[in-house]
Amino acid sequence: MTMLRDTSEPTGALIARLVDDLQPVRPLRFSSGLGLALAGLGVTLATVAMIFGIRADALAGQFDPVFLLAAGLFLTLGLASAVTVIVMSQPRVGSDHSGWVWAAITTALLPAAATIVGVRQGAPAFSAAAMDHGAECLFAGIALALLTFAVLTGWLRRGAPTSPERAGLLTGLAAGSFAIFAYSFHCSYDDIVHIGLWHGSVVVVCAIIGRLAVPPLVRW
Amino acid sequence: MKADEPSLARLMAMAQAGDKHAYAVLLGECQQWLRSYFGRRVAPGHLDDLVQDTLLALHQKLATWDSSRAFLPWLAAIARYRWVDQLRRIYRTQAADLDEDLAGPDEEPAIAARISLERLLAQLPVAQVKAIELVRIEGLSIAEASQACGQSESLIKVNIHRGLRKLAAMIEKA
Repeated sequence: MTMLRDTSEPTGALIARLVDDLQPVRPLRFSSGLGLALAGLGVTLATVAMIFGIRADALAGQFDPVFLLAAGLFLTLGLASAVTVIVMSQPRVGSDHSGWVWAAITTALLPAAATIVGVRQGAPAFSAAAMDHGAECLFAGIALALLTFAVLTGWLRRGAPTSPERAGLLTGLAAGSFAIFAYSFHCSYDDIVHIGLWHGSVVVVCAIIGRLAVPPLVRW
Repeated sequence: MKADEPSLARLMAMAQAGDKHAYAVLLGECQQWLRSYFGRRVAPGHLDDLVQDTLLALHQKLATWDSSRAFLPWLAAIARYRWVDQLRRIYRTQAADLDEDLAGPDEEPAIAARISLERLLAQLPVAQVKAIELVRIEGLSIAEASQACGQSESLIKVNIHRGLRKLAAMIEKA
């Protein structure tokens, strides 16, 4: 329903025009938004399995503790951000959109730990091979984030976010977190320096992209 | 007769289902409520524009109201969003005086107080509120506002910029 306003039109006439234009609408449902976001995550996981392949130890059900911890943190941050984006699409004075902050702070422990360990290890932690593999994770993660970006941006366009900038940032956080969560089922590096710096970079870069690119698309 | 929250919510649910009669009543009530809600926080010359912008936004975002939640906090969020947007767009208005006859929301005082524009403005430092009021609502120039409140011209500009940015980030804050 796109309708323009004639600035010289009396309010009564505008109301008559709006009434005439009324069509039944299907209200946005939180469950539908969450279902779409989770479906996007499922498709992203399937894409990783089909294009890159799943790491052998994960297929065998033998998970490294660092992998489990990191994947769990990225999944939690992705869920917290996606849920906040979905809630933001339905405005209401009194809504609190700050729950994701705690998930972000907790996940930030990964790059913090990576920095401490990396500095202590010195040059070996930043070898050419490690950098090449890190760059692969970064680019693959950003590419995999596109689907969640599209799903959440589409949802926000149907909704009415009152803070497009924050909605954009959170869309990026959700997209990056879901993408690197999915990609970690392929990446066989369980090193905290690699996960904290490179996998964490996917989330940071996607958040920056979301903050810059999404607001113009969802402003109303 | 003014409609109360449950009546407005019922009308909105009927409007979402496509009931044009209910929608006409709802928009009429919303128009009155919005005029009262914006009250003294809009220069009289811009009140009609803002009310119409908000009604149009309501129409375009009809699907975003959740029938399990109250109606007025939803309408207030849309109204605040449009109000901050208008404050950003207005640089100087011709209107100088505010209409003293406009009353604030007088029903369901607890809800009205929580969703009011006053409560939103109260989140800002006094200097930022003053700068926004003088320039964006009362329509003074930067120089006139500077003389009126004693802030330097550059400080007025900074306070408007920072204040509007904060308002935009706090639209749903109760």
